[in-house]
Amino acid sequence: MPPWSDFEPFIVSGLALGGVYALSGVGLVVLYRATGVLYLAFGAVGAMGALIAWSLGRENTPGWLTWLVCIAAAAAITLGYGLIFGPALAKRDPLVKAVATIGLTLILYGLMDLLWTTSGGEARSLTLPSDNGGFSVGQIQVNWTQVIALAAGVVLTVGTGLFLRFTKLGTAMRAMANDREITATLGVPVRRVEAAAWLGCGVLAGIAGLLLADLVALDATTLTFLVISSLAAVLIARLRSITITFVAAIVVGLLHDLLTPITSLTNYRDMTPFVLAAAALLVMPRGQVMAQSREEA
Amino acid sequence: MGADLGLRETPGRQAGRRRPDRPQLIKTATITVLLLFTLFGLPQLLSLYYIDTMTQVAVYSMVTLALGVLVGRVGLVSLGQVAVLAIGAWVAARLLFATTQPYPVVLLEAGLITMAAGVLIGLPALRLRGLYLALITLMFAGAITVVLATLNFPNGGHGFTGYNGSLVHIPPIRRPSVAGTDPAYFRYAVIVAILMFLLVLAHIKTKPGRAWAAIRQSEPAALAAGINTTLYKLWAFALASFITGVAGGVLAGAVHYLYSIGFPTQDSITLLAVTLMGGVYSMWGAVVAALLYQFLPALLNNWGVSADWLTILFGLGVLQVLTTAPAGLADQVPKDLARLGRLLSRRFRSPAPGKTP
Repeated sequence: MPPWSDFEPFIVSGLALGGVYALSGVGLVVLYRATGVLYLAFGAVGAMGALIAWSLGRENTPGWLTWLVCIAAAAAITLGYGLIFGPALAKRDPLVKAVATIGLTLILYGLMDLLWTTSGGEARSLTLPSDNGGFSVGQIQVNWTQVIALAAGVVLTVGTGLFLRFTKLGTAMRAMANDREITATLGVPVRRVEAAAWLGCGVLAGIAGLLLADLVALDATTLTFLVISSLAAVLIARLRSITITFVAAIVVGLLHDLLTPITSLTNYRDMTPFVLAAAALLVMPRGQVMAQSREEA
Repeated sequence: MGADLGLRETPGRQAGRRRPDRPQLIKTATITVLLLFTLFGLPQLLSLYYIDTMTQVAVYSMVTLALGVLVGRVGLVSLGQVAVLAIGAWVAARLLFATTQPYPVVLLEAGLITMAAGVLIGLPALRLRGLYLALITLMFAGAITVVLATLNFPNGGHGFTGYNGSLVHIPPIRRPSVAGTDPAYFRYAVIVAILMFLLVLAHIKTKPGRAWAAIRQSEPAALAAGINTTLYKLWAFALASFITGVAGGVLAGAVHYLYSIGFPTQDSITLLAVTLMGGVYSMWGAVVAALLYQFLPALLNNWGVSADWLTILFGLGVLQVLTTAPAGLADQVPKDLARLGRLLSRRFRSPAPGKTP
């Protein structure tokens, strides 16, 4: 076991990673509750945005504009998908809706590989200006990107919680999570509420893509499949609670990074989401079969 | 072998009737002719490049068959079948290096060990809703990629992993003595694939198949009818893992050398896409899917077209399959196939009687 001081820097990076996972997880849960879609293309959309931002950055576009374009691109793709395929698949099983987003993932993945080919050997990177500044806590260096990542996770979790509880749109989303048909009968503009959820999720995907491209790597495959970590958090929260999603995401990010200094486990640290999710499934009670029939009938 | 597949399919398709009618006989004859052609005609016609490609098609037709059973028959979606295939290939390669057992025995063992691994993964998720299985298998695929990258495939080294990084002359993974050459190995792979198709057919026509159909329709209703839904879901998952494991064993011999980068996470997703595109309610769908997955890239590669276009096409294909099936996945594809079948049988009806025995 390495000394404690070896772990310290990884607490910071783990918390930052966990913050982004939390932000992604909250986006996924809200979209799932409002529309019944588990958005597996979340990572691919973020990657697309980040790669577009990278290309713009090479053309000497000001930084803030590339970030906005990144978020806007992710939001536009997500909203576009939601508007086209949301209504078409509205009455289908959640499993079918989730698999359909795999179609989007493949389209984006193919496009990214085609446009930003990885075989050229050219390593891309996206650095935010917040990487440069920072402060230190004891021995540990903390940069502003890490602070922003964790803060974004916290703020968005709390903000989304308040939004769902106190605003009209949030109330409508919660109503739709319970029953889409009854909500529509009560006069809620179901399509518009769903569109809002898609847009929100897309914005979060863009932010997550931007932050992860900086914190982890700007690579289509890596970013596309980093969504797995958020999915683990979402699964642990049973696609339901955003509070549990937040906590689980932080644990996934933290544990992943804390395994880095342990030599025997460092190669296996990317298994963290799977191991945690599998453990959570084992302790989860049965009896969701009947819940399914009520929810999906 | 070929006639067997045709005859076995005959009674099931028209339960109750004794004598097979003309379309059935045509179907039997078509399958027989197709199989005989595949086994003896195809290796003569194709270049070595395409024979190797067709061996891959045979291997992956087993994988898509297994996934098709899960998705089409039971309504379970696995996003980690390539990871399962990798386990099968790993186990087979390890056994082939470590022992001198006959190849079929190794295939059987690879299938059984992969089955055990699959059951272990599936068990916690199968108690819950389908979405959880899809998620946990996707994570499983990611995790297996990590493990393989560290562990590597056996290359004739010693110890549990059988990997020796400093080995200069890596021995190839051996093939069965009866199928040393590429055309012979192609036939070997096709025969193993036929056996796996028959295994699935035997399941579909009997009790498990009926239980799966009930579960796919409505799990609560199946539960109410006294079907042990978890058992039968697990059974399907075990069967799919077994077949995929065997396919992994065949793959090991086909390529001679295995590398962990050959089994990336995204392939599991692509595999589901082609399986859906091929059609999950018919066993022909598995063959179509395997052609999409292995033959098409080889063709495009030959033409110098980027495989990324295929990825995009598969993505569009998934969306098309899912959205233009108004009554649900469980309904549209068999209908289309029936329509296609009617069209084909109408076409074939005039020249075919001469062929039927």
